[in-house]
Amino acid sequence: MTLRELIVMGLMLTGAFFMFLAGIGILRMPDLFLRMSATTKVATLGVGTILLAVTLYFNDLVTTFHAVATILFIFISAPVGAHMIGRAAYFTGVPLWKGTLVNDLSGHYDPQTHQLESVSIPGLEAHMPDLRVCKVRISETSPAAGKTLAQIELRKTYGFTVLAVNRGSLVISNPDGDVRLFADDDLILIGPPELRDDLAALFGSTGEDVGEG
Amino acid sequence: MIEALWIVILVLLSLGLVSVFIRLARGPYLPDRVIALDLISVIAMGFIVVYAVRFNQPAFLDVAIILAIISFLGTVAFAYYLEKRI
Repeated sequence: MTLRELIVMGLMLTGAFFMFLAGIGILRMPDLFLRMSATTKVATLGVGTILLAVTLYFNDLVTTFHAVATILFIFISAPVGAHMIGRAAYFTGVPLWKGTLVNDLSGHYDPQTHQLESVSIPGLEAHMPDLRVCKVRISETSPAAGKTLAQIELRKTYGFTVLAVNRGSLVISNPDGDVRLFADDDLILIGPPELRDDLAALFGSTGEDVGEG
Repeated sequence: MIEALWIVILVLLSLGLVSVFIRLARGPYLPDRVIALDLISVIAMGFIVVYAVRFNQPAFLDVAIILAIISFLGTVAFAYYLEKRI
């Protein structure tokens, strides 16, 4: 057994083992979206490894080109197919695993048009025409970072009211004065749009519109 | 030695294929079955490529690439009509 044969057999063994793991993954994972990670990542790696063994074994240009083209095609098509089937599954209501903690898309998809939208409060404008909802991000250098809502006196100084604080996937709705702000938090504010530019002094960035509110 | 390795490779691929078939039979939803079919075609590609080396036939690789194209189109078509159906 030459060294090349040894490497070829080793690569094929690795690839076959990954295929086996993909089979175990699709059988044992608790929901569709986790099973998809087994079919796309592990199986793609497995078939890629086996095709790599082929290029070493035949060791000629045409076969190598064939194998590399196949690897490229699988690496491009597997994520596209997985995205499409995952999207279709999400719309048809395939349930998530009961241990799933965060579902970022929940409530953001229009069930009729399948378009992604931000949450809006319909008809809010009619009741208070001089106020708009906006979103502002607290920059690293902002003097508000590290202070509580009571300390920055947003309502008294700037005329804005905080509706919610978004911190990563955490949402603090109707925050009270004791909530402390950190850099990279997103504040959902309601206030007069003409005073929005003043916010830059406090947060380091100006507000942007949210939905139609 | 090398014969034993071939057997290990083919047994691993077969075991993977059997577990995917169990998922295909069990479901429980249509998208589960679609991804199972997709994985079956990928494992079949693995088989074809392994046999190409085993019998020294580079022409088998053409079959593998055609299988990859067909299974991709199949998955896309399934996803498209699944989304249209509701």
